[in-house]
Amino acid sequence: MVNLVAGLESMIKVLFFANLRDFAQTDSIQVDSSQISDIRSLVSALGEVLPSALTDALADESAMVSVDHRYAGWEAELHDGAEVGFLPPVSGG
Amino acid sequence: MSDDYRAKIWVGEADFDVANEYKRTCDMSPHAGAVVFFVGLVRDLYAEQLASESVDYIELQHYPGMTESLCDEIVRQAYDRFPFDTVRVLHRVGKIYAGEQIVMVAVASKHRDNAFHAAQFIMDYLKTRATFWKKEVGTKGEQWLGVKDKDQDALKRWS
Repeated sequence: MVNLVAGLESMIKVLFFANLRDFAQTDSIQVDSSQISDIRSLVSALGEVLPSALTDALADESAMVSVDHRYAGWEAELHDGAEVGFLPPVSGG
Repeated sequence: MSDDYRAKIWVGEADFDVANEYKRTCDMSPHAGAVVFFVGLVRDLYAEQLASESVDYIELQHYPGMTESLCDEIVRQAYDRFPFDTVRVLHRVGKIYAGEQIVMVAVASKHRDNAFHAAQFIMDYLKTRATFWKKEVGTKGEQWLGVKDKDQDALKRWS
């Protein structure tokens, strides 16, 4: 259920990078957090609104995940207002 | 944990001037006896080294906020192992052409060993932990790069 009057505190902000951003066709999205408890339920929710190329790419859980700017595991639990990043293998320097 | 060092960490699109950076590093480090600089450049060869094809430019993306806090952590870990006086870490993002500067790590310390080691430690972790992503654009089209095995292997020297 989409909560039309949701405040930011009941939303989760999700960011995508590199090829995952290309698959998502957006750099970020806000998701109602009421049905989301962890990363896997977040990915299921994303599958309903974003291209399947994204959820296909996330399916093997090889991407890294961050919660509130810190690396986290795919088991991580999410809180209202969390910021989640889906991070392909990095390649800086 | 001690905070006995000065650090400048910067992520942005602008190019940097190594001569100015050297002066700033020295100005921040009145008691240093050694300054080590590393500057990374964009190569015109693809990661797979196909001789007949070349890279025109790369596009670098990063995760604002997370990148800077990871760089802070990496610098602190380097300091805990190889204490230094000053570190300056600059990393460019956006479109960067072959031959241009992409990253700089400068470390000033009392003696050369810590400056060498800290600079290498910071670069090794910057390449494998910091949230930057590089896309090569050239004769083969576009492709995002992942972490290279040799970069991952480089971390073993610090374990």
